[in-house]
Amino acid sequence: MSIGTPITRIEAPSKVNGQAVYTADVQLPGMVHAVMVGSTIAAGRLRAIDTRAAESAPGVLAVLTHRNVPRWHGTPDDLHYVEPRFPLADTEIHYHDQCVAVVVATTREQAAYAAGLVAVEYEARPVVASLDAALPTAHEPVWRFEPLFPSVVEVGGPKEAFAGSAAKVDAEYRTPYHSHAPIEPNATVAQWERGRLNIHKTSQDVHGDRRIIAGALGVPADHVRVWSTLVGGAFGNKTTVWPHTLLAAVASRQVGPPVRLVTTRKQVFTGHGHQPPIIQHLRVGADADGTLRAIIHETTNGTPILFDDPEPTISPSASMYAVPALGAYVRVADMHMPAPALLRTPGDGPGMFAVGSAMDELSYALNLDPLELRRRNHLAHHPLKRKPWSGKQLLDCYALGAERFGWDRRAPRPRAMRDGDDWVGFGMSSAQRLEPHTAATATVAILDDGTAEVRTSIAEIGTGNLTTLVQIAADGTGVPVRRFGIVSGDTDLPEAAPTHGSRSTGSTGTAVHLAAQNARLAATRLAVADPRSPLHGLPTDRVGAADGRLFAVDAPERGESYQDLLRRNHVKAVTEEGHHDPNAKNQQFAFATFGAHFTEVRINRNVPRVRVTRHVAVFAIGRVLNPKTARNQAQGGIVFAAGQTLSEQLTQDPATGLFVTPAFTDYHVPVHADVGEIDVSFVEEPDYNAHPHGAKGLGEVVCVGVHAAIANAVYHATGIRVRELPITPDKLARLVRESG
Amino acid sequence: MRTFDYTSPRTVDEAVRLLADHPGADVIAGGTDLVTLLRDGIRTPTHLVDVNGLGLDEVSWQPGGAVRIGALCRNAIDDPALGRAYPVLVKALRAGASPQIRNRATFGGNLLQSVRCPYFRLPEFACNRRTPGAGCAALHGDSRHHAIFGTSENCIAVHPSDCAVALLALDAHVLVQSTRGTRRIPVAELHRLPGRTPHEEHALRRDELITAVELPAGPFGAHSTYVKARDRASFAFALASAAAVVAVRGGVVRRSRICLGGVAPKPWRSTAAEEALRGRPLDDAVIEAAADAATRDAQTRPDNAYKVDLVHGVVRQALTELREQS
Ligand SMILES: Cc1cc2nc3c(=O)[nH]c(=O)nc-3n(C[C@H](O)[C@H](O)[C@H](O)COP(=O)(O)OP(=O)(O)OC[C@H]3O[C@@H](n4cnc5c(N)ncnc54)[C@H](O)[C@@H]3O)c2cc1C
Ligand code: SF4
Repeated sequence: MSIGTPITRIEAPSKVNGQAVYTADVQLPGMVHAVMVGSTIAAGRLRAIDTRAAESAPGVLAVLTHRNVPRWHGTPDDLHYVEPRFPLADTEIHYHDQCVAVVVATTREQAAYAAGLVAVEYEARPVVASLDAALPTAHEPVWRFEPLFPSVVEVGGPKEAFAGSAAKVDAEYRTPYHSHAPIEPNATVAQWERGRLNIHKTSQDVHGDRRIIAGALGVPADHVRVWSTLVGGAFGNKTTVWPHTLLAAVASRQVGPPVRLVTTRKQVFTGHGHQPPIIQHLRVGADADGTLRAIIHETTNGTPILFDDPEPTISPSASMYAVPALGAYVRVADMHMPAPALLRTPGDGPGMFAVGSAMDELSYALNLDPLELRRRNHLAHHPLKRKPWSGKQLLDCYALGAERFGWDRRAPRPRAMRDGDDWVGFGMSSAQRLEPHTAATATVAILDDGTAEVRTSIAEIGTGNLTTLVQIAADGTGVPVRRFGIVSGDTDLPEAAPTHGSRSTGSTGTAVHLAAQNARLAATRLAVADPRSPLHGLPTDRVGAADGRLFAVDAPERGESYQDLLRRNHVKAVTEEGHHDPNAKNQQFAFATFGAHFTEVRINRNVPRVRVTRHVAVFAIGRVLNPKTARNQAQGGIVFAAGQTLSEQLTQDPATGLFVTPAFTDYHVPVHADVGEIDVSFVEEPDYNAHPHGAKGLGEVVCVGVHAAIANAVYHATGIRVRELPITPDKLARLVRESG
Repeated sequence: MRTFDYTSPRTVDEAVRLLADHPGADVIAGGTDLVTLLRDGIRTPTHLVDVNGLGLDEVSWQPGGAVRIGALCRNAIDDPALGRAYPVLVKALRAGASPQIRNRATFGGNLLQSVRCPYFRLPEFACNRRTPGAGCAALHGDSRHHAIFGTSENCIAVHPSDCAVALLALDAHVLVQSTRGTRRIPVAELHRLPGRTPHEEHALRRDELITAVELPAGPFGAHSTYVKARDRASFAFALASAAAVVAVRGGVVRRSRICLGGVAPKPWRSTAAEEALRGRPLDDAVIEAAADAATRDAQTRPDNAYKVDLVHGVVRQALTELREQS
C-alpha cells in the first residue's frame, strides 16, 4: 500500500535542481515578447492614444490598441472565469492598470521600453474607490451560479426569532482586498501553427481555459491546445482566463512568431484577481443554554462595474449549525475594481471569520466556553438539505485539538492571561468546507516494460496532487509508485477536474482510482484467459495485484508480473479509462470536510503586534492519502490564512481608486519569522460514502476558521474585539497606554 | 531605449571626477534601492557610477577610539567590537530588510535610500518629492505609514532607514568627498525636512560621494538598544522605532539620546524625552515620563494617530531593556 505513506512529491527533485519548467521558462523557436500598458486611472475613458513613438522604437513589431485589435468572437458566457468585456474592446476604463495597449517586440526589454512610449490621454470620471462609497448601489447579484449559490436563504422567521432570543450578538465584520500573491507571475506563451493555437499558460484548469480561449478567438475548441506545466502558486488566481492570455494569442496571430507575455509583479497584484472587500453583518440569537435560535447573516462585497460576482460568505451560516431560523442575504455593490477571482477559501474563508467571531462573542455573552457552545450546536446532518453528512468527525477534532492544545488551561475571562509584558490569549474556531463533485476523466496504462502511467489533464499548482494521484493508481494496479509516471497539464489528455475548489482528490482522484481498477481488471482478464498464465482459469475476483505482479489471492506464490503477461501476449500496454460522474454521487448524503483550529497569540504591550505562537489544527478529511503532502498543505494553508488575518491588505487609494500596495514590499505576506509552532493532525476515517477511495479534499478547509481563531485569541488576550482584518498593530496600539 | 553610461571607477578620485563631469550621474552601490527606482522610472540617470570597486569597505578604529565604517561596508556587517561598543547600531541594522538585502545593501546607500511612500514609488500618482510642484497624493490618500513629526503641507513621508536612527543617536558623522575636497556632515544634518522643497532630500551635493561614517569614541553608545514596531516580525519598514543610548552614573541618567524612526522625514531626535531622563533614575515613572515626552508635539492624521501610542511603546520598551541591562 502506498496510500497513507509519507511519500515525497514526485516533482520535488526537479524543483530543487532547477529542471522544473514553469510557463515563463517555455522557449519556442523565434519567440518574441509582449508587454501590457496599463491605465493610470481607475474610471473614465481613453480620449486619445498615440502609439507612433512606440511603433518606431527599436525591435517593435506591433502595438495593439482598441483601434487595431482584431474583433473578438462570441461573448464571454463563463463570467466566473473571464471578464465580460474582452481586452481592448473599447475605450472605457473600469479599473486601475486596465490594459490599454500591448507592445510586441523582439526582446522583452524592447517591449517594456516601448510600452513606456505609448502616450495616453484620459478623460477621468468620478470613481467609486471603496466599499463604503459603493454601498448605495448594493443589490442582489444577477449571475449564472445563482442556483448553486443562492443569494437569499430564509427559513423559520429569523427576525422574530432573533428578537426573542435570550442572548444576542449584533456585529459587523470587515475583510479587505486580499491578493493571492503567488510567487510565479501569471504568464502565457502563444503559438499559431496552420490555424491551430498552442497556449502554454499558468493555469488551474486547461480544459476550462480552452473553452474560453477558443470562444473568444472564434476557433473550434479542438484547434486549441493548452498546457499548464508546473504552477508556482495559484490560490485561485490562475482559475480565470485573464486578458494577457487572449492578448498573447491575438498578438502572435498578428506578428507571426510565438509570443511570450509574462506579467509584471505589479500587474499580478492589480489585474490578476483578488478577494474583494466584504462587509458582513451578523445577528446571532441563542437561548440561555447556548442553543442557537436565529442567525441573520447579511453580506455585501464589492463587485466590478460590469458584472456581479458575489462572495458566498453565507455558506457557514447556512450549513453548520442546528439553527431553526436563518436569514442569509448576499448583496454586491459596484466599485471600480478589476475582476475578482476565487481566492482560497472562497465564501467560507471570510464567512467563517464572521461566523466564528460571532460565535465567540456569543460565548462571552453567555459566559460559556466557546468550544462548549459549538459542541452544543453540533449537527450530524446538513441543516437545509436535511441529509446526513457522509462522514463527520468534528466532535473528535474538537476533542483531539483541545487536548493537544491544552485548551483546559484557558482562563474563562479575557485579559486574564499575562506573561511579563505579553498579553496571552487562546482562541478557537471550527472549520467546514463543502466537498464538491465534478466530472473528471483519467486513464491508467500498464506497460509491457514494467512501468505504468497516469494520464489526466490536471494542473499541479504546488499541492502534491501528482503524487497522490500516482499513489491512488499504484494501489489500484499494484504497480509500485517508483515505476509510475504521470502525464498532466495538457488538453490532449483526458479532462480532469479543475485544480480549484478542493476537487483534485475527490473528483480527479476518483477517476484515477476507477481507471486503475479497470486497468488491473483488464490485465487480470487477459491473464485468466491465457492458458500460458499461471493464473489461467481463476475467477477475476480471486486475483490480487502487488509489486507489479498479479497473483492468486489464495496462493500468492502463484502468479506473474504484468511485464511477463503483456510481453508474452505482445500487448504493449493495457490502457483503461476511469470517469467520475458527479451525478452518480450518493444522493442520500451531504458532503463536507471538517476541522478545528486552536491558537495561542501573544501581544507585547509595548510593541503590540499579534504573534501566533502556537496553532493546533485537526482535520477530518476522510482517508489521508499522503501524510507528508497533507501536513504540508495544512501548514501552508494555516500560514496563508494567518497572513490574511494579520498583515495582508491590498490598499486602494481612497481618492483615485488606484492600488497603493501592488508589490511584495507593501503587501505583507507572512515571513518565516512570523510562523510559530503549527501542530497538524487528522482524525482519519475513510469516507467511502463520498468517494470510492475514501479520501476528500484538503486544500481549502485548512484555511477556514484560522481568521476567527486568531481574532478570538486576540480578544481573549486583550479584551479588544477586532472585527476588521487585517489585525495590524495600529488596531491594538491603545494597549500601550492601558495599564494592567 | 532609455540608455545610460555605466562606469566602474577604481579610485575615489576617479569616481568624484565622474560625478563632477556628469550632472546626470547617480552613484550605485548595492543597488537594492536604486535598481527598483530605475525599473519604475522614478530615477532616470544618464550615467551610473558603480562604486563597488572603490574598496571603502573596512571598519577602522581610530587612535582616539572613534571608528570609521567605510561607505561600502554591507548592512550585514558582523563585527563583534562594533557590537560591543555600539549595540544600537548593530540591532538597528539587524532589524532592517532581510538577510539577502543586508548582504548587498551598503552604509552609504542605506543613509541615502529614498522614501517608501507608495505614492512616491508609483508614477501614476502626484508627488512633490518626485516632481516638484506636482502635489502630494498622500495628503488625501492612505497615510497609515506617514509621518507625525516634521511634516509640511508639501510632503508627509517618513525616512525609512533604521540604521540612520541609530547613527543619529550615536552622534555620528558622514564623511563625504568631491573634487573640491572632503567634509564632515553630522548625521543630524544629513536629511532635510520637506518644508517647501521636499525634492531636496539631503545635504549632500550632487557631486559628492559618501566615503565613510564616523562614530565618536565610547563609552557613550555602549549602553544602547534599538526597538522597532512593524507590521510583521521581520522584513518590514518601521511603523515606529526607537534608538536609545543612556549613560547612567551614580544611579541617575547623566546623558542620553532618544531618537525615533518611522515617524518623521528624517531620523527624529526627541530632546523632550532626553530632558525627562536627565538627572533621574531609570525607574518606571521616569521611563513612562520619557516615553510620554517622546510623543509631545506629534501632528497626527486620522490614519496615523496610532503612531503616537507606538512611539510611547517603543521608547518604553527600549528604556526598560536598558534598565534591565544595568
Ligand atoms: C524589500 C526591502 C525592504 C527593506 N527594509 C528595510 C528596513 O526595514 N530598514 C531599512 O533601514 N532599510 C530597508 N530597506 C532599504 C535598504 O536598507 C536599502 O535599500 C539599502 O540600504 C540601500 O543600500 P544600497 O547600497 O543597495 O544602495 P543603492 O540602491 O545602491 O543606492 C541607494 C541610494 O544611495 C545613493 N548612494 C549609494 N551609495 C552612495 C555613496 N557612497 N555616496 C553617495 N551616494 C550613494 C545612490 O545613488 C542611491 O540614490 C529595504 C529595502 C528593500 C528593497
Ligand atoms: S508624502 Fe511626500 S513622497 Fe509621499 S506623495 Fe506626498 S510628496 Fe510624495
